[in-house]
Amino acid sequence: MKMVKAEGLTYEYIKMLETDHGTEEEKVAALKSVNLEIEKGEFVVVLGHNGSGKSTFAKHINALLEPTDGTLWVKGMDTKNGELIWDIRQTAGMVFQNPDNQLVATVVEEDIAFGPENMGIEPEEIRRRVDDALATVRMQKYATHTPSKLSGGQKQRIAIAGVLAMKPDCIVLDEPTAMLDPVGRKEVLETIERLNKEEGITIILITHYMDEAVRGDRVYVIDDGEVVMEGKPKEIFSQVERLQQYGLDVPQVTEVAHLLRKEGIDLPADILTVEEMVGALCQLKLTN
Amino acid sequence: MSIKINQLTYIYNQGTAFEKKALDDVSLEIKKGEFVGLIGHTGSGKSTLIQHLNGIISPTKGEILLDGENIHKDKAKLKEVRRRIGLAFQYPEYQLFEMTVYKDVAFGPTNMMQSKDEIHKNVVAALETVGIAHDLYEKSPFELSGGQKRRVAIAGVLAMNPEVLILDEPTAGLDPKGRDEILQAIKRLHQERGITVILVSHSMEDVAKLVDRIIVMHEGKVATTGTPKEVFCHVKELEAMGLAAPQVSYVFAALKEKGFDVPIDVFTIEEAKNVLLNLVKQVSV
Repeated sequence: MKMVKAEGLTYEYIKMLETDHGTEEEKVAALKSVNLEIEKGEFVVVLGHNGSGKSTFAKHINALLEPTDGTLWVKGMDTKNGELIWDIRQTAGMVFQNPDNQLVATVVEEDIAFGPENMGIEPEEIRRRVDDALATVRMQKYATHTPSKLSGGQKQRIAIAGVLAMKPDCIVLDEPTAMLDPVGRKEVLETIERLNKEEGITIILITHYMDEAVRGDRVYVIDDGEVVMEGKPKEIFSQVERLQQYGLDVPQVTEVAHLLRKEGIDLPADILTVEEMVGALCQLKLTN
Repeated sequence: MSIKINQLTYIYNQGTAFEKKALDDVSLEIKKGEFVGLIGHTGSGKSTLIQHLNGIISPTKGEILLDGENIHKDKAKLKEVRRRIGLAFQYPEYQLFEMTVYKDVAFGPTNMMQSKDEIHKNVVAALETVGIAHDLYEKSPFELSGGQKRRVAIAGVLAMNPEVLILDEPTAGLDPKGRDEILQAIKRLHQERGITVILVSHSMEDVAKLVDRIIVMHEGKVATTGTPKEVFCHVKELEAMGLAAPQVSYVFAALKEKGFDVPIDVFTIEEAKNVLLNLVKQVSV
């Protein structure tokens, strides 16, 4: 069974327009017949410029939005089925951009316990889950601290721990590093990778940072509500000009390599990291 | 207008269990017309510093001189200080509230009791500087894209004709296109208006592209200051402070380590391309 499967997923909403003749209604399609499949244990990145529909898509996985047409299944559960809504949300947890908007308690461990408490879990089990979740995000030392006194990266790791305590199969992260400094970004990204590799949790990461995107197993590019590109990071990022058309960019090293290739330098088209760039340049020197 | 900061110290929650020294004996000078980048990890003291410049908080010790005058001395003059030193907060679009783009930008000048003509002139000039087209003036600010909203919010500060503009994380959360639009607007306003700009950013790539001088804050102190070339060649020191250098500079640091004869102060794409092109050509000869 796929972790997430979308078939003809469409989401339309009504926009009110003020015109000279009063108010008019306009139908806007934020998602247009999206088809995709995400396997259990995959690390998938979703890219797209602001307003492309990627956050709308993310909200469907968590059943925060219901498709106007088509279907989205989370581990086989149809998100349109209201009776399954809590099972769906427990299966696919969500982490948002601003950690301050998602922490609810005044003590870190109480914040993490909030989800399992609401699920009616036994106190000893809650204790165990909170401790495990804190250990997974490497924040045990801060169990009794106040979230408001933590750094952005630490807050975001607490938000992730709060989701982990509900034992999800899949975590959707909507630009979790947008508000963080370089260290905070690194901490959060390492945590995400660990969850994926060690805990086997399916990750769906929405980001604007291309150096984060290159670390996924697979990338979807969404533009104007449609999936326009799909593939491994190397397949996607070697198409520099096409990405730029969709209002996206590529990692700095990829762009430099692309410019050098245009000048006739024989470099591979799929350089994504500093190490690959340095390796390719050394190779070039050796062969000459 | 020059800003001079003398031995500025600020302690949060002084005398309580949460006492924290956010700024520790900071001395700095920012000259008229300079374009300065302020970097430092979360908690390094940069936000506390810019809040002082705008008179939002008062120093525990030390002083800030604006053209030689202590800005915190006379509380009645703080309003004037805030006009002269404009501050665009993080996520400034959250502060948009008016029915139309035009009215939102006009809010500051209107409150300054400017005449109608003057308000109009200032609003149009500000919106033009940030690249918001005339046909958007009567739109609701909430109908705009993320990048447009943010530019409207920055125009709201510009419309008060500040002599110094402080921007706190102006590109956070924007997509690459929105990011480029904002950066273009900032570059333009610095060139066209000749005002002093202080850019607070986590994006080393943005800072590298734009500023004349970087101030690095660490643990409440100024760790170092210099041109982007001077600052970004110290990759190891920056990382120890929780910062980073633009991605391409790592390529050059690695090449240097492998014995290539390359400069280590390269951090923009254009420059990297040229240096590498030369290197490769040399090799093939």
